[in-house]
Amino acid sequence: MSVKAWLKERFPIDYDKFIEINENIFIKEPIPIHMKKWWYCMGATPLILFTLQVLTGIFLAFYFVPSPEMAYESVRHITQDVRFGFWVRGLHRWGANLMILSLFLHITRVYFTRSYQKPREINWILGVILFGLALTFSFTGYSLTYNQLSYWAVTVGTNLIKSVPIIGHSLLVFMRGGEEVTANTLTRFYMLHVWFLPLFLVFFLVLHIIVLRLHGVSEPEGFPKGKYFPFYPHHFYKIIIATLFLLAVMSALSIILPPGIGLPADPTTTPFHIKPEWYFYPTYRFLRMVPLKVGIYVTAAFLIAFTFWPFIEPLLSKKNSVRRNISYGVGALTLIITLALTIWESLT
Amino acid sequence: MINEENQKRRSFLKNFGIIGALLIAVGLFFRDLWLYLYPPKRKKKFHKYLVAKLNSVPLGKAKEITLGNDPVFVVHLDQGYRVFSGICTHLGCHVRWEEEKQRFFCPCHKGVYDKTGKVISGPPPRPLDQFKVEEDKNLVYIYVETKTRGPWS
Ligand code: FES
Repeated sequence: MSVKAWLKERFPIDYDKFIEINENIFIKEPIPIHMKKWWYCMGATPLILFTLQVLTGIFLAFYFVPSPEMAYESVRHITQDVRFGFWVRGLHRWGANLMILSLFLHITRVYFTRSYQKPREINWILGVILFGLALTFSFTGYSLTYNQLSYWAVTVGTNLIKSVPIIGHSLLVFMRGGEEVTANTLTRFYMLHVWFLPLFLVFFLVLHIIVLRLHGVSEPEGFPKGKYFPFYPHHFYKIIIATLFLLAVMSALSIILPPGIGLPADPTTTPFHIKPEWYFYPTYRFLRMVPLKVGIYVTAAFLIAFTFWPFIEPLLSKKNSVRRNISYGVGALTLIITLALTIWESLT
Repeated sequence: MINEENQKRRSFLKNFGIIGALLIAVGLFFRDLWLYLYPPKRKKKFHKYLVAKLNSVPLGKAKEITLGNDPVFVVHLDQGYRVFSGICTHLGCHVRWEEEKQRFFCPCHKGVYDKTGKVISGPPPRPLDQFKVEEDKNLVYIYVETKTRGPWS
């Protein structure tokens, strides 16, 4: 009996139909002509990076021990003793950084091509959720290295939660697994990082892609409408090239700028210079400029406006050109402020 | 005609090169990940360990000592001192020295070794392990592997 017949008996599926569906969904997926430009197909970068993060993350988990006594030591062991440990860890660390960077770029591109407009509002919101998850990923992952900076980042970061009205304190205790940052906090963050967040992220990612596919990629103004090319081979190879390029860049970065291990966490002394990772610079700088309560409410307001922008924008004017100008203005302003705060914080 | 041939060859070489490079890259990638998972073999280090005074064990007798939790036999033969690990090479039971028969006996599956550690009968697959012995100024030393005990080894 042929393999095909054997399989068909065990999995009674209509194979021709299956192949046809597969062809329609993947091989022949119509991709608008503008996607031949690299700048317009950066959305796949986070996906590639995420896949690599999963891979390197699994490998790190072979050696990482989430306990206050062993966390720092196991990161040191991976970095200094294990063969290619510095590389695997470097890929994971740089992958996380590039992930945030590529999301910034992706969001900026989507915003300025106004691809969030009706009927794609929901996908924008799904994207915002994904971005939030990516930031949480980074924060929890950073804390696992259990050095001075990451320990105090957790202390400061979880302390911020206290300012949430009414349920703030309960949230804090829940996050830390007690009043203080202890072994409970570490295992909680570890659990979030390796179980909870990946499951959530995959769920929203799949939704994001399904919605994207249902509508098709939006076609920005200034390109010929209605011209498509099939996913395979052009776009497929583009993704392969991007993957190889990213791997090469991240490997190079892990060698040129390898992530350090810092000093072991010491709960009794706060280090002199305490700073979050660069992608939290704008928020961090802003929160230090204004009174805490104000800062938190303004940040929350910004987040809400950011999330629901696709629904807010149509309320602003009936004329498309006016809406576009407002959107561009708001976007440019946000971009400038974000960049300015980031640069300011990195200089101080 | 000739041009077409050339063209073909050129594109073949090009594809060959690209695919070859890809395969090498992918191969290296997984090789490195594989190495990552396997802790490298460390070079063994040994240190000297005092087991007896030169004349403390009469000829044809053995002295049992323990090293860590493992039995070790210091045997005085015609050729000099021999030091054996008392761990049966079959499945790891502790052997005992039977002086009247001048042999080692393992009670688990009736393995028998002679006084030089050679297997006489029973299931053991190889002779008893021996330590390297050094006699120095009236004292007998053996070389014991230095085991550094850390969380990772
Ligand atoms: S263990 Fe010694 S004979 Fe089997």
